[in-house]
Amino acid sequence: MTRFVFIFVLLLVALFSLEVLKPVQEHLIVPFTGMLASLSAAIILPFDNSVIAYGKVLQFRDTGFAVSIEAGCNGIEAAIVLIAAIIAFPARWRDRLVAIGLGFLAIQVMNIARIISLFYLGDWNMVAFSWIHMYLWPTLIMLDVLIVFVVYLRYLSRKSKPMEATSA
Amino acid sequence: MLEQNHMRQFLIFVFVLLIPTFALWTVASGPLAVPAIGLVNLILTHWFPDVVNTLYVDGSQGLLMTEFGEKNGTLIPLAEAEYRLGFRVNPGLLTYSLPFYTALHFATQKKEYLQSYLWGFMILYLIFVFGLLFLCLKELMVNVGETFFNQPGVFVPDANVIGILYQFNVLIIPTLAPAIVWLWQSKDSPLLQIALGRTRDS
Repeated sequence: MTRFVFIFVLLLVALFSLEVLKPVQEHLIVPFTGMLASLSAAIILPFDNSVIAYGKVLQFRDTGFAVSIEAGCNGIEAAIVLIAAIIAFPARWRDRLVAIGLGFLAIQVMNIARIISLFYLGDWNMVAFSWIHMYLWPTLIMLDVLIVFVVYLRYLSRKSKPMEATSA
Repeated sequence: MLEQNHMRQFLIFVFVLLIPTFALWTVASGPLAVPAIGLVNLILTHWFPDVVNTLYVDGSQGLLMTEFGEKNGTLIPLAEAEYRLGFRVNPGLLTYSLPFYTALHFATQKKEYLQSYLWGFMILYLIFVFGLLFLCLKELMVNVGETFFNQPGVFVPDANVIGILYQFNVLIIPTLAPAIVWLWQSKDSPLLQIALGRTRDS
């Protein structure tokens, strides 16, 4: 456990430092955030023609309410936590990479649900929007990370059991 | 079978417990922040006596009052100003780690709940105090600017250090810290023991 925590914290600091570097922001984080906005718009637009999307902004035509998807709203921080935890835990690299891929997907699915729900919530009530944006959704996203990690540990544990039985 | 029960029980309980814990926190977040605001007030007024007047509780938020006034967007000495310049700080940005931790803790099957909960709460509260300090430093950095950084004979952290630690404390720590404390405290719980493959299903 101590070894895990040490590697986890080390990776966390390294990945966050990498994330805040200007070239990484310019070439990876900002385009990825824009892509998330486009994807959210692509999900909403077929069902709601009162919505317009431009760049990283989603806006209601009638009320004018708009949200801009900024860095920090892109789930990258949560993904970094998950990646650090998965790499810090001893396993085969193939398992780690699959877990990172699926975990990243799980986080982004939640994050798109978050963006869309906040967009509609903000148009309805700004107090509810602020509360859920600042406190509830970050908690749910981290819970998502935690659940993915525990499920990954269970998968590793189950996988190792038949091998132990065979070798016994 | 038992393995699935632990996971299912945890998932159901954690989602159910998030509702009352966050409701309780919404009501109690003001009083909850009082000791931390008092402590950070003590640190800031001793650290920057020429810049910080006081940090006090204002409803569910903190109000950081400076030793300056303001006229047309420019910082002026208090003697020449009509009012004292202050900034709102929102401790809720940091304390929502507490209801999250509470839900995680009580959703996990354990032999003992209360003592470990109090330890976890205390650790998170200390992290909150540290975070609140950087929340205030960021306000001073952004709003007081050069005057804050150029205090003769006073050590002021570098702007990048304040910026990074502020981001870390606001964006990451409030959700990450409870998760880590929970993982650490629950490492012997059936949920994690089974997940780690250390015990066999019965």
